[in-house]
Amino acid sequence: MRERGFYNNTRLIFIFLGGVVLLFIIAPLAGMFLSVKSPELFETITDREVTSSIWRTLLISASATLIVSFFAIPLAYILARKRFPFKGVVEAIIDIPVVIPHSAAGIAILGFISRDSLLGGVASKAGLTLVGSPFAIGLAMAFVSVPFLITSARDGFSSVPKRLEDAASTLGATPLRVFREISLPLARRPIISGLVLMFARGMSEFGAVVIVAYHPMTTPVLIFDRFNSFGLDYARPVAAIFIVITLSIFIFMRVYQKR
Amino acid sequence: MLKIENLRYTIGTFTLGPLNLSMERGEYLALFGPSGSGKSLLLELISGIRRADEGSLTISGKEVSDTPPHKRDVAMLFQDYALFPHMSVLQNIIFPMKMKGYTSEQIDKKVEYLIEYLSIKHIIDRDTDGLSGGERQRVALARAVACDPLLLLLDEPLSALDPDLRGEAKELLKLVKREGRTIIHVTHNREEIEDLADRTIVFHL
Repeated sequence: MRERGFYNNTRLIFIFLGGVVLLFIIAPLAGMFLSVKSPELFETITDREVTSSIWRTLLISASATLIVSFFAIPLAYILARKRFPFKGVVEAIIDIPVVIPHSAAGIAILGFISRDSLLGGVASKAGLTLVGSPFAIGLAMAFVSVPFLITSARDGFSSVPKRLEDAASTLGATPLRVFREISLPLARRPIISGLVLMFARGMSEFGAVVIVAYHPMTTPVLIFDRFNSFGLDYARPVAAIFIVITLSIFIFMRVYQKR
Repeated sequence: MLKIENLRYTIGTFTLGPLNLSMERGEYLALFGPSGSGKSLLLELISGIRRADEGSLTISGKEVSDTPPHKRDVAMLFQDYALFPHMSVLQNIIFPMKMKGYTSEQIDKKVEYLIEYLSIKHIIDRDTDGLSGGERQRVALARAVACDPLLLLLDEPLSALDPDLRGEAKELLKLVKREGRTIIHVTHNREEIEDLADRTIVFHL
């Protein structure tokens, strides 16, 4: 009987071990917030370089998420619904950005948009420089974060009963309308979660972004720049503000998922 | 009305056919047999959800073997009714009419008729979630007949209902039959098709 009780030894050990991990996550963040002083925080919030970097980061990440979703959501649907040769290879390709070092991803993207590349060369002839542009930042953000959208949307579409799509098609819906009227609305929640995850992951990206565009600065690059140039005390308030923003998005997503 | 010649379909180790079948307009045909004998598979082939490996399928003189489901004038009542959970009862019923480009006047007129005909006025604005089995069947039936399909396919239409609701549901099918529709009714329960079917084809494992 005692073995089934709440206070058995195994459970206590597990609670202790789990608590250590939780502390490991919470302690550095809590420590950072506690060490930020109010005047510094106020000064940072009103610093135009900080506010413009935050707006830039949010806007570029949101734009990249929206634009890429037009391509990623149909791909997720195909992965959820169709069988085709080398499907496993396609799924592995989608996971590549998650497993490679993001600085390496940045190098790869830099090669893709530099003046020597096809895309960079065309842009250069049109008078545009891609490296160091918001476009490059968006590309780097999208590259590292799109797997989150594809995976979440694919799981969402898989959870829609195929039978409902069949019913819609026998009732006269074309494949596009089946997608629009049935699959998309029924998979809405995981798709929105995927969009929010992609957006949040994109705006937090540092490694790939810093290589393709040090300037104009996104907030993660600004945090690094301030730390590198002025030290921890100058970087900390910017980091605290940015963490509050990302946490707000994260909390919104968790509440939305639970609703 | 419906003519099937040498229809053959293989899935895994199971092969349906070669199958020959013809039906007259206004006929109520029952396909009776145990689970796994291929009855529902045949409905999916007729509706176009699956494409036959061989053979021909003609509906009202038109060869439809390669026609996608949305272009076949066939409606199917699924075993679990497959109501769209994100739509209200009314939205479910008008769905096929919207897909087929009915005008709002035509939709209103048809909805008014179906509400009366299938006694669903009291549930028309409700979500599909809280509907009873019998109510779900009525809504699914209203949705299936909304565009007056040439052929109505019923896949085990009473099996999802409690036994005490089946009598009432069967009366509903009689009502639909009285309109002179061409119907194929698939079942593994012989009682279900008594007094309903003009003809019965038995499927074996």
